[in-house]
Amino acid sequence: MSEEGRNAEEARYRALLELDPSSAGARETLVAGLHDESWRVRRAAAEGLTRVPEREVVVERLISVLGERDETGARNAAAESLAGMGLAAVEPLVRLLGHADPDQRKFAADILGQLKLAEAEEALVKAMLEDVDLNVRVAAAEALGHVGGKVAARALERTLHDPEPLLQLSALESLALLRHPPPLPELVRLLGNPMLKRSAYRVLGLIPQVAATELVCRGLGAESRSTREAALVALGTQAGLSEPSQRTEMDAAVRLALKRLPEAVGWVASALESDDLELRAGALVAAAALREPQLAPLVAEVAQEERLVPEVMRTLAHFGPETGRELLASMDRLSFPAREVAGLVLVEMVDATYVPELVQMLDWGELDLKAVAVQGLGRTRSLEAVEPLAQLLDHPELAGPAVRALVTLAGSFPKQVAQALESALERGAEPVVLSALVRVGGTAMLPLVRRTAREGSVALRATAVEVLAAVEPSGGLELARVALEDESSRVRAAAVRVLGQVGDARMSGLLKRALADEALEVRLAALEAVGECGAVEQVAELESLVRHEDGAIAFRAVRSLARLGSLRDEVLRSAVSHGDHEVVKAALLAGAASAEGVSLAVGLLGHANWDVRAAAARILGASGGRECLPATRAALAAETDALARRALVDAVERLSGR
Amino acid sequence: MPFDTGKPEMTAEEFRLLRDFVYGHCGILVRDDMKFVMQRRLWPRLEALGLADFSAYYRYLRFDAQRRAELETAIEALTTHETYFFREPRQLKAFSEEVLPQLERRNARTKRLRIWSAGCSSGEEAYTVAMLLKDSGRFEGWDVEVHGTDISRRVLVAARAGEYGPSALRATPPDKIARYFIHVGPNRVRVRDDVRAWVTFGHHNLQEPDSGQIGSRMDVVFCRNVMIYFDTPARQRVLRLIYDKLVPGGYLLLGHSENLINLSADFELVHLRSDLVYRKPEGGL
Repeated sequence: MSEEGRNAEEARYRALLELDPSSAGARETLVAGLHDESWRVRRAAAEGLTRVPEREVVVERLISVLGERDETGARNAAAESLAGMGLAAVEPLVRLLGHADPDQRKFAADILGQLKLAEAEEALVKAMLEDVDLNVRVAAAEALGHVGGKVAARALERTLHDPEPLLQLSALESLALLRHPPPLPELVRLLGNPMLKRSAYRVLGLIPQVAATELVCRGLGAESRSTREAALVALGTQAGLSEPSQRTEMDAAVRLALKRLPEAVGWVASALESDDLELRAGALVAAAALREPQLAPLVAEVAQEERLVPEVMRTLAHFGPETGRELLASMDRLSFPAREVAGLVLVEMVDATYVPELVQMLDWGELDLKAVAVQGLGRTRSLEAVEPLAQLLDHPELAGPAVRALVTLAGSFPKQVAQALESALERGAEPVVLSALVRVGGTAMLPLVRRTAREGSVALRATAVEVLAAVEPSGGLELARVALEDESSRVRAAAVRVLGQVGDARMSGLLKRALADEALEVRLAALEAVGECGAVEQVAELESLVRHEDGAIAFRAVRSLARLGSLRDEVLRSAVSHGDHEVVKAALLAGAASAEGVSLAVGLLGHANWDVRAAAARILGASGGRECLPATRAALAAETDALARRALVDAVERLSGR
Repeated sequence: MPFDTGKPEMTAEEFRLLRDFVYGHCGILVRDDMKFVMQRRLWPRLEALGLADFSAYYRYLRFDAQRRAELETAIEALTTHETYFFREPRQLKAFSEEVLPQLERRNARTKRLRIWSAGCSSGEEAYTVAMLLKDSGRFEGWDVEVHGTDISRRVLVAARAGEYGPSALRATPPDKIARYFIHVGPNRVRVRDDVRAWVTFGHHNLQEPDSGQIGSRMDVVFCRNVMIYFDTPARQRVLRLIYDKLVPGGYLLLGHSENLINLSADFELVHLRSDLVYRKPEGGL
């Protein structure tokens, strides 16, 4: 197309996009657009027509365009537009199914399929069974795969016995779409038909039984690539539908079948690289059965498709220890998603012999690879792993994982790990090192902790206060009192947390001061601590904070009042009207055991947030009486959210049993 | 064989709460089928923070004093994605052979060129663009800036470092490796300084137009495979932002599976020999 032509096309396209569909004459302008030479313009016109008022008139107009036999582009665009018209198009299209011209009837069936509305089921079944034109019957059978319904499924099953192979094929494909497999013997018959074989395997995959798997395995041994691939697809579908216990049997059957096929590794590898998602899913099942380490990187690459990640991990976990080395060798060439899953699997497989490769991996640069190496080193149970991990303790992003790895290694080498941690701490390493040191070294490390609490950095001082309290509560409490005067809010917050965890109601005065601290971090810790240590003297303060606009403050106030057993009905009512839905849920939970709480839960079944409605339903299921049943049933009838519905169904069941 | 034993599973309710919260913050939509991905990427955070389950993590994100920092970490974990040098060669060919000559003519007077790599991740795309500019031989002596932005601060650190392993180079022709990289280790290369001199990086949340420092108007915006993270309203916001940042006649290059149908009528579709690209109309403000 010339530059001029493109500009003219662009102008027509933009004119249609900018056209107000409710303006006078818009309908006919858009209908004219359906006849444009450019598909973009036709598409814009089709989309515009779905927004024109008086849908009935538009639908009839579009149906008239369907009758323009020489205007292929316009007819297709009209069909596209009709498919976007929803219920308004069903009845006219059902009428069109009775048109004298089979071409029109076929169009009607196709569009009804795209509309996917149950209202068309009966008419399409009739067309599939009774129309005199084969193309119309096939189109109706295909449409039923999208429309669904019990009558449709039964009719499609019957159609599998029709003498027309094309119709059988459409019926089979539709049954696959509806995930409604016919009985197994029926499928066995179809597996022998070259034309239907592929679809029959697809439907076979919908039957998660070993008998079906064994039939699929026969297909894996077929000479024809398309049959093998159809069988692989069936395997993938079966795997997705099977219970874990069925999977074991299924894997055994597949393994037995593939062992007899020496060339299987090659075609499974090629299926793993296919663009077809279903084929890749099946290839994973086959790869898990083959357990060939050389397939591992290809299996890992399937993780680029997010939906298949759980199956990829499951498959890799089935491979033997040699797989770990195969993955390790290819780690830096894998795509990011593949590396991610390979890393998770790899760390489960390492042993002491992996240390050199893992240490080498620490030099590879990418942080995610280093993190895998660190985690892997921790699981090698090798003394050789301690030193390289110790060197990472000063690295801000890797110190945490390195500490966790060292703590794992400390199970075998406590002295060496403690030494490594201590020396890192002397170099001023991350606070996480201090916690680990006490975990590994025990009470012998307390003098060091005390010294750190006095002299360390802000982060280390804060950690020291909490670490000491965890090991020696009375000493920790004493240190916390001192730390409450620290100039850093982080240290003061840590001290407050200690007061909550190991203190008692006598800490009330200290906590009162903390509740008024200038730093939000300290106030939040104090709100939690009041509840934890039973400082009932602060109830009035907490009650006033329940109404605080900051959800973080109100949430903690509610929880602490509940812990103190001091949540009065009036305060509860105030909390459930808070603007933050987490505060409302915390209040619901806190009031669950009281009559007032149950009564509030009934009211909250109509809350704007789905999670609050679900929480209210759960409270009623646990604590409500039979008198709550009508309100809960009414809420269920009105509920559109799936998760809230689930909670309401459960509540109705439980309340009905009371 | 269940693989991840011992780690908390994310319930459907936890997934919804976390997903909605993340969406509310930055418009990133975690699809329903990505629950497992979300769970896998956030497990390390639960471990690092010592939290028992995802409900506790959700409350941490909502109510802890460190919530802002943690939210950034969570977003980083959820948006880390695949990227490599010279990705989508057909589009890059169109860019090199058709867009760049036009930009050379158009900006000949100012000798200034601005290109934005939006959602640049660890920098491969921004450096690829700079290498193509070098390859063209048209812009030596010009004031050139390729500006890479991303919501993740961690990937920006990697982008600035400009060091990569074999995975990032898997689509890079050997002659380009020889010309634009130096070997810094057995399996590591670094982008040469003359390329790096044209590239800058900065933090930017595409859902918050004022969050980054993109002062200049851009001649080209690469926004490839970024909008997959957003739902329709969020995509429309991003497109509005890009429109505003483009000069009239400036180009928008999307990923090969992305288009603007039903998203924006602001851009015009341009049929280049090698590819279709979008352009802000010359008369656009």
